[in-house]
Amino acid sequence: MSTIIVQAVVSGIVTGCIYALVALSLVIIFKTTDVVNFGGGEFVMVGSFLALFALVYLGVGYALALLLAAVAMFALGVTFDAVTMNRIGGRLYTRQTELVPTIVATIGLSYLLKGIVRVVPYTEEPRRIPPLFNAPPIFVGDVVIQAQDVVIVVATTLIMIGLWAFFRFTMAGRALRAISQNARAACLSGMPVRTLRMVVWGLSAGIAAVAGVLFAPKLLITPDSGTLVMFAFAAAIVGGFTSLPGCVVGGIVLGVTQNLVGVLIAPQAISVTPFFIIMVVLLLRPQGLFGDAIALKKV
Amino acid sequence: MKALATIAGRRAVAAALLGFATLLPLGAQAADPGITDNEITIGLFGPLSGPLIAYGIDPLNAAKMLYEDVNARGGIHGRKVKLVIEDDKCTPNDLVAVVKKLTTVDKVFILHGGSCTAAVAAAQEFVGREKMPMMMLNAAGDNAVFPPQRYIFGSFQGTQRTYASSLTEFAQKQLKAKRIAVIVHDDDYGRANLATARAVAESLGMQVVAAERIPPNITDVTAPMLNIRAAKPDVILSGAYPAPAVLIAQKYGEYGMTDIPLLQAAQGIPTPSVFAKNVGNDAVLKNFYHTWAFNDIGDPALKEKWSAMYKKANPGREPGPFMISGAPSALATIAALEKAGRNVTRESFVAAMESLDIKPEIMAGPIKFGPDRRDGLRHMLVIKYDGKTQKAMPGVYSWDGKSGM
Amino acid sequence: MFGSPTLRQLAPLLALVLGALALQQLLPQYFLYVGNLLMMYVILVIGLDLLIGWSGQFAFAHIAFFGIGIYATTILGTRYDLPFLIAMPVAAMLAGAVGFLIAFPATRLRAVYLALATFAFAECAQWVARTWDSVTKGADGLQIPPTSILGYAVGNDQHAFPVVAIILALVLAATLYLQRSRFARSMSAIRESEHVASASGIDVKRVKILSFTLSAIYAGVAGGVYTLFNSFVNPDILGVAQLVLVLTMLVVGGSGSIAGCVLGAVLIGILPEVLRAAPRSMLVWQEFFYGLILVLAIMFMPRGFFGAWQAWRDRARHAADKRDAQASQDTRLRAKASTEASS
Repeated sequence: MSTIIVQAVVSGIVTGCIYALVALSLVIIFKTTDVVNFGGGEFVMVGSFLALFALVYLGVGYALALLLAAVAMFALGVTFDAVTMNRIGGRLYTRQTELVPTIVATIGLSYLLKGIVRVVPYTEEPRRIPPLFNAPPIFVGDVVIQAQDVVIVVATTLIMIGLWAFFRFTMAGRALRAISQNARAACLSGMPVRTLRMVVWGLSAGIAAVAGVLFAPKLLITPDSGTLVMFAFAAAIVGGFTSLPGCVVGGIVLGVTQNLVGVLIAPQAISVTPFFIIMVVLLLRPQGLFGDAIALKKV
Repeated sequence: MKALATIAGRRAVAAALLGFATLLPLGAQAADPGITDNEITIGLFGPLSGPLIAYGIDPLNAAKMLYEDVNARGGIHGRKVKLVIEDDKCTPNDLVAVVKKLTTVDKVFILHGGSCTAAVAAAQEFVGREKMPMMMLNAAGDNAVFPPQRYIFGSFQGTQRTYASSLTEFAQKQLKAKRIAVIVHDDDYGRANLATARAVAESLGMQVVAAERIPPNITDVTAPMLNIRAAKPDVILSGAYPAPAVLIAQKYGEYGMTDIPLLQAAQGIPTPSVFAKNVGNDAVLKNFYHTWAFNDIGDPALKEKWSAMYKKANPGREPGPFMISGAPSALATIAALEKAGRNVTRESFVAAMESLDIKPEIMAGPIKFGPDRRDGLRHMLVIKYDGKTQKAMPGVYSWDGKSGM
Repeated sequence: MFGSPTLRQLAPLLALVLGALALQQLLPQYFLYVGNLLMMYVILVIGLDLLIGWSGQFAFAHIAFFGIGIYATTILGTRYDLPFLIAMPVAAMLAGAVGFLIAFPATRLRAVYLALATFAFAECAQWVARTWDSVTKGADGLQIPPTSILGYAVGNDQHAFPVVAIILALVLAATLYLQRSRFARSMSAIRESEHVASASGIDVKRVKILSFTLSAIYAGVAGGVYTLFNSFVNPDILGVAQLVLVLTMLVVGGSGSIAGCVLGAVLIGILPEVLRAAPRSMLVWQEFFYGLILVLAIMFMPRGFFGAWQAWRDRARHAADKRDAQASQDTRLRAKASTEASS
């Protein structure tokens, strides 16, 4: 039994890291613009399909495919913000009634992207990207760990640390933090708020592409892979929705809980676990494990 | 006008010749809508948009191709088939709208469509009330054919019960298994699959040692696969859909379970080569089997014939994995229309369907209905697939019509 | 704003019912089915608007209450032999009660947290419907038998059409009354600013909980209506896709007004049926166009079709007023000039 539990936990940590990566891409947008991106899952899906097409049709190497996908998604994110969000979010979202347009716009985005991928003939069946390393699995006692699993955990940690450093130490990152505190003041003090917001959307889409390339060997991609965003929401909420390390912890908590529920209770309950976690966390501790206390902002 | 004149003329002649002959021409003026002297209108539908298009577009094209083929050969008893094609999105609301439109606005003679069981089940009440014959396109259809409804015929490529029963029978007869583990989704397909596997296993003296029900959008199958490994089964039966089926095979490989045969129902492996590529390691598939309702795997010439026919009818389109699944329902419908004769009515068509017993060369077994039977195919082949070649295993496996009900 | 609705507002409702009685005999069942579906959506959208448009609470649980309405009406009818006239209101009250219960914790949450918590609740409700086999028959779905209302058998779309129209008319009338109540003004005060509302003596929490409950009751009624012209329900009806559909109706039509809700439900509800006329090769693009409509509507008509029309009308009226004023001034000047010339 104990081997089973350990294996379930190890596997949950890896899956959790995938949730965490997607959650990171959601949280950096929410942190700076107060927008929840319901199309975040589709960013991941499109990103991984782009990388797959680059591998299959352009015949480029793995690294280049990843780079191309990330760059293309960066451009897509920037464009979406410039064209759509900028128009409806020219004013800043301070009241909840204005939440509706932003959420609806991102839901629209998710259908747009899904709809485009749907008509590509190659996407009718689930597809996979080959793993980064084809190394033999690692055995720790009876517990199996795949090489790709190690890549996922390391990449997630690096991206999280990178983002954290970016927000902490770079000028642009600090500016973004200022915007999230008070956009109007940031604007008045001469920060290029619009450009910075576009950069954040691009960054988010780029991270989503990386997440897509990392998870595709494990989870496969279909035009409907975007539903993954639900798990990312759960991870983000556990982590507090504004904290970067919180995302990673939240993702891992979710991944491990899902597997333990599957082993100890029933696999039937796996699908409801993230939603149950969302409700419990929001009821008991709305600010999550790491989030800042939720204050009424900018009346 | 011409049609009227012919009928009137014929009636006059017939009446003059034989007194009782009036019965015949009167029968010829079919009271049902959607049929004229030279045309039969059939409402054809399937998911042509949304997440399930792979189950709709190609199968529907295949059915259309067969009707066009009949037309090219002169039609059915001198009548050409005219199709009204609609998109049902595989959702109950849309399918019901389509069925109502085809019946009350387009006034078709019979309905032919539906790729998803739940959506078809939503139309049961309406077609029963309107006495409208409906042939499913390619839904497995358990909940739409059990209990049987007079006007709905389906499962032309086998129900989930047929899949589960065939695999369990195969496990016992060919693999000498005693302990089986079942992994299915927590939906209607999964329930039918699991119930049948349990019943057949019991009747064959086997034991179900693990029954895992997983959500269709599962991202990590670690937990159910660990549960299965702990139960030490002799075989594993999977009723999973394409993406989870791959995850299951991957984990099965990772956890070194490849000495235990893995038996997969057909819905999880649309294109075998894509499946193998997704699993990513052919060594994992050394003990892998799946069901198949068609003879094309054992017979490359047959496969090539259908593929060429499809490409000719749909220039520029490669046949998708489920293309062939649209064929049997169209073949059966055409056969029943031919059997019902020139004076076909909806009721006589239902009678013809009910007494149908055909064995098209492409099918693994006969398509057969009866007074209490609305599921067409109860026979299944089991294919061994090692990642490169598919080999039909000896024997045809079947469902007895009772287990798992 | 206070008082009862004017006769001019209530007259269309009477027309709706009379029209339904007339059309019932004329149209084929397919059109009646689509009509029933649209009327059901109107009820559902108005219910959602009570929360989003009127009181500014962005909650996602609406479809869960709709599902409770469908399942409860069916189960009360089949298991306990309750007639529809009792089963449907009881089901709606049950939906309202669940809404009331989740409103307590939910109203403590703000903005996006409320959206996500209620979204999670809706997903949990769908899971319960799929898993609670003994009551809901799980994923296999539940057959809904035909019902009868005071001896009037409702067995098909034709029978259901006037009944649905009457229920819709009653719901619309109730909404018109509600719109003129003190409660509605409290809701919009909260939407504008919770602080100001609370400072002016409105019990914010109470109003929020009440609007949550009311919205859930509307959804429950819509669920009851669903059972009148459908013969089957399975847990898929509680899915995200349905929720997004209703939200789209609200946004495209224009939230905050009854006319906007009706417009949105009809436009978006009828879209898939209109698209049937499109060439077959275009059908696969439906998801894409659906997304495009959402994005464009939000970008260019933030207040929906109805809001856009209102704005256009106001502008036109304004321009006309200006022109009239200009014109009358011109005539006056000319008259003056002519009198001056003649003298």
